[in-house]
Amino acid sequence: MSVQASRDIATAFGTASNRRGKYFSVKRFGTPVVIVVVLAVLFWWLSSLTLDSIEQRTLNWPYLWERTYEHLRLTVIASAIIAVIAIPAGIILSRVRSKVVHAVVFSIANIGQSTPAIGLVILLAIVWETGFKVALIGLVAYSVLPVLRNTLVGIQQIDASLTEAARGMGMKPLQVLLRIELPLAVPVIIAGLRTALVFCVGVATVATFINAGGLGDMIVNGLKLQRWPVLVTGAVVVSCIALAIDWLAGLAEDLIKPKGT
Amino acid sequence: MDNSFFTRLGSFLSTRSADIAASATEHLVVVLVSLLIATVIGVGIGILVWDRPISRSLAIASAGVGLTIPSMALLALLIPILGLGWLPTIVGLAFYALLPIIRNTVVGLQEVPAAVSESARGMGMGTTKTLFLVQLPMAWPVVLTGVRVSAQLTMGIAAIAAYVGGPGLGEMIFKGLSSLGSRNAVNYAVVGTAGVIILALLLDAAFVAIRRLTTSRGLRV
Repeated sequence: MSVQASRDIATAFGTASNRRGKYFSVKRFGTPVVIVVVLAVLFWWLSSLTLDSIEQRTLNWPYLWERTYEHLRLTVIASAIIAVIAIPAGIILSRVRSKVVHAVVFSIANIGQSTPAIGLVILLAIVWETGFKVALIGLVAYSVLPVLRNTLVGIQQIDASLTEAARGMGMKPLQVLLRIELPLAVPVIIAGLRTALVFCVGVATVATFINAGGLGDMIVNGLKLQRWPVLVTGAVVVSCIALAIDWLAGLAEDLIKPKGT
Repeated sequence: MDNSFFTRLGSFLSTRSADIAASATEHLVVVLVSLLIATVIGVGIGILVWDRPISRSLAIASAGVGLTIPSMALLALLIPILGLGWLPTIVGLAFYALLPIIRNTVVGLQEVPAAVSESARGMGMGTTKTLFLVQLPMAWPVVLTGVRVSAQLTMGIAAIAAYVGGPGLGEMIFKGLSSLGSRNAVNYAVVGTAGVIILALLLDAAFVAIRRLTTSRGLRV
């Protein structure tokens, strides 16, 4: 893929950091307000309904809390594993000078992105087993490559004259990495992690199909039993979680970003 | 084991080739229809908002918010309103496809050098003529990349849409799951998944050709 194309795609996914210095933009406050309003409307709607026995079994706080906990656990653990694997691997790859290796990584990452997540998760469940562990592995396998690619791109896009100047000032390779390259690559790396986090929330919804719990359970139960309040609650809560996580990651992105870039 | 897996996959492919081809065609059709709808609406919205700062940032911010909503949740929310089948699938897919297209249309139109638009005006072109003869053709490569991103996105989401009764290869993946433990379970899931990957790669390659053919001659490198 040409540089132009990847830049356009970065534009499409909003990874380009053009929000510099706008700590208190509308978006910063807009998202939490939207989340609170949506949840309040949902709660108001649910409390105005008379629930039958099937709905009461799922629309109560302990059940909802447990599904949310399962969902968040899957998302957070998967993202942590992704960060631990992908970032160091990206750094190591950036030290490898071979163009062929980079091309191979990029093309595998591209093919990986067109793999349907649901297909990967279900395939893993069929050939192995169902449950939390397999869902976790599916999530990690799916998101490792994009984060790795962002790490690599983040380090490669640094102006070579900067690293050269650092070396000229007498910095050792490790110092150049830790004090020049990584801080400059952080925005791109975090953007990759943020995408992976949001993505994990989405795929964790699908994890219900392989018996790994989460809020997808509510969607599937609501659909199977034709209980729309259950389905809507599951779908709305999971969307709010995705928005909240994206918002938090955006906040982290702005705070971690080094001053002066 | 490996050998028997491939022979079984081979016989699965040959006995069900008609089914597989039908599913793949449906998958492609549903993606292309959604993309077409999304392109028309998305470029339209992009044209309307790109030089109005407030509605522009509103459109881009809501596009970003839209992309974070899990596809399974959105498709589920459409069921009580639209029922099952093609309709919620196309609406859901078009929704996701819309977002990158709006964003790229806005960015593409903004990147057109002001001097070029101004000289078009100076040559006596009106606002509409400038838009269609100068600004849109110059923004087109960026817009098309948005459509291409949307195509990859909707290919994967279309597989999930099988759960709300949507057509396509997702049906095969879910058939594999529901026949878990039987001999053909793996075959169904493998064919469904690999089919989506192959379709996505083919469509992506097609976009390279479309980009070349539809980009204005002066912009081709």
